[in-house]
Amino acid sequence: MTLLDEKRDSQEEAVSPKLERRARQKESWRGFFHAAPAYVYLTFFFVLPLLVIFVFSFGSRSNTGKPLLENWNLDSWTRLADPLVRTIAVRSLTMAIANTVLCLFIAYPLAYWIATRARPRTRTLLLVAVLIPFWSNFLVRTYAWRMLLDSDGYITQFGALTGLWGRMLFTQPAVFIGLVYGYLPFMVLPLYAALERMDWSLVEAGRDLYASGSKAFRKITLPLSKPGIIAGSILVFIPSLGAYVTPDILGGAKTNLLGNLIVTQFQAARNWPFGSALSGAILIVMLVTTLIYFRTGGRTI
Amino acid sequence: MTDATPAVILNGVTKRFGEDVVAVNDVDLEIQDGEFFSLLGPSGCGKTTTLRMIAGLEFPTEGSVSIFGEEMGLRPPNKRPVNTVFQSYALFPHMNVADNVGFGLRMQKVDDSKVRRRVGEAIDLVRLAGMEKRSSKELSGGEQQRVALARALVNRPKVLLLDEPLGALDLKLRQTMQLELKDIQHEIGITFVYVTHDQGEALTMSDRIAVMKDGQLAQVGSPEDVYESPENLFVAGFVGEMCLLPAVVADPGSVTLNGGEVIRARTSSPRGEPVILTIRPEKLHISPTASKAPPNRNALKGSILRRTFYGESMVYEVHIGMSDSIEVRVENVPGMRRWDVGDQVIIDFHPEAAMALTE
Repeated sequence: MTLLDEKRDSQEEAVSPKLERRARQKESWRGFFHAAPAYVYLTFFFVLPLLVIFVFSFGSRSNTGKPLLENWNLDSWTRLADPLVRTIAVRSLTMAIANTVLCLFIAYPLAYWIATRARPRTRTLLLVAVLIPFWSNFLVRTYAWRMLLDSDGYITQFGALTGLWGRMLFTQPAVFIGLVYGYLPFMVLPLYAALERMDWSLVEAGRDLYASGSKAFRKITLPLSKPGIIAGSILVFIPSLGAYVTPDILGGAKTNLLGNLIVTQFQAARNWPFGSALSGAILIVMLVTTLIYFRTGGRTI
Repeated sequence: MTDATPAVILNGVTKRFGEDVVAVNDVDLEIQDGEFFSLLGPSGCGKTTTLRMIAGLEFPTEGSVSIFGEEMGLRPPNKRPVNTVFQSYALFPHMNVADNVGFGLRMQKVDDSKVRRRVGEAIDLVRLAGMEKRSSKELSGGEQQRVALARALVNRPKVLLLDEPLGALDLKLRQTMQLELKDIQHEIGITFVYVTHDQGEALTMSDRIAVMKDGQLAQVGSPEDVYESPENLFVAGFVGEMCLLPAVVADPGSVTLNGGEVIRARTSSPRGEPVILTIRPEKLHISPTASKAPPNRNALKGSILRRTFYGESMVYEVHIGMSDSIEVRVENVPGMRRWDVGDQVIIDFHPEAAMALTE
């Protein structure tokens, strides 16, 4: 009996590395098959269109605005240095950064407050309340803001009554309000997730080790919620840099952002190559900044 | 240290959570300076809440907490001369060992060179030299426990509060750490308030023990007091092994068991009162029926029901008439006599070993 066991043990020892490797290979293949639908989908509907855009950006256009895949040139890319493009890009960037920062400052206390409610039911209810706007269409909600901000809207009327502001619609502040409104939940959710799984005994330990309430927040809570801050900032910054609907509806013709510029190129201006170059450039800038953000912010996400 | 003001005084401390949860109920306690004091009890008895009220992490609903004569009131934890070793250690995951240990000093704005020196000393004290730069996530349970201890001790608190600090460690490591903690306490001479549910731990480490039950103090005394003279059935049952036999007080100093045997025992109840007789298994002696028990000892006839080997001892469950049975622990020494199930025996014990307690 013991002899047999010993024999089997030694056999298994000899075989096990090979067996193990085969098992691991099998495991990784199975993982690939599970992910295959996603790979196929992303290849056809994400990677290929991006490649098309990239190719078109080097093409040219006919007199009637038809995109042509001939006369390859770099004109569209050099046009990116145009002062008009630069103005719009700087405006978009400023708007996106301001939006991210303001969302962070509004969302953090809210997420903190929700995450520190004792009863799980209360937390869920408050979280649902944050998500309720998503139940209706974004376009509809933006039009609702248009009504509020228009000359006879409550906000403009309140401004006129107190003399603090005039008509808001079709101004940069209107676009800003719309962006903050639209992207706030994207900041609240990751912050909530980070704060909700915080080990609060760490804060207690900090308080026990002579940290005042605000010191403990800065030295413990804030650094430990960093993954949430990074995730939320990316989720808000990237879409607001390419925002189109909000500036289009609330900004009128006055506040052009990159998103509107691109749409104009593909539609009214019928300049596909330039529109493609713009899209490609934004994509590259976002990719690079996100990478830097991740590298500096640590990989804990 | 006899004339000094007590390190901690709890005066009528009650803590309620919400409307009807009473975690701590009217506790009065004096913990002396330099004492190793344990709060012992089952989970939910209020021992941790009591500790947290001393730390300032909870505030009493009623009553007051004083530390070295100073009434704490609503003073926050960062303004109290105490530090805590948390049950989960609560090491800061975004800092290395040295930064964890130095946190308290930095918060007190001690200057850098001094922080470095004292952190070094504290790390030496808990024997973690060379680990300063390790991330707190890469440490074993025992190492984390030491860092938590160093992080508290480096501040030279007047009172160190420990909330089941050894609960997460395996048995061997726990025993080593028990001795180490005791040595460290002896070396630095400060007051330790130690929360545990492990009665063995409390007995071996403490100068005094407060046994808690349902938010109240069941007994406060030295380990010997609590073990040898439990004041009530809860303490008798919770601390150490105990055989319980229902009985009725016969005369002052003797009781009648269910089977009619009259036993001499420590009792203070009046005649006729139903009591529970408590006897420690290791204070009983087994001998063959033929032998005669010494005249100054109690003797009971019985038969062996079960035998369990524990390594250092053998425990026999002995049936002693009616439905009662009693456990006898026999030390495993050379020449130990082994009894088999069914053997008829006589159990004898000193009257001092039997104590009658009322429900």
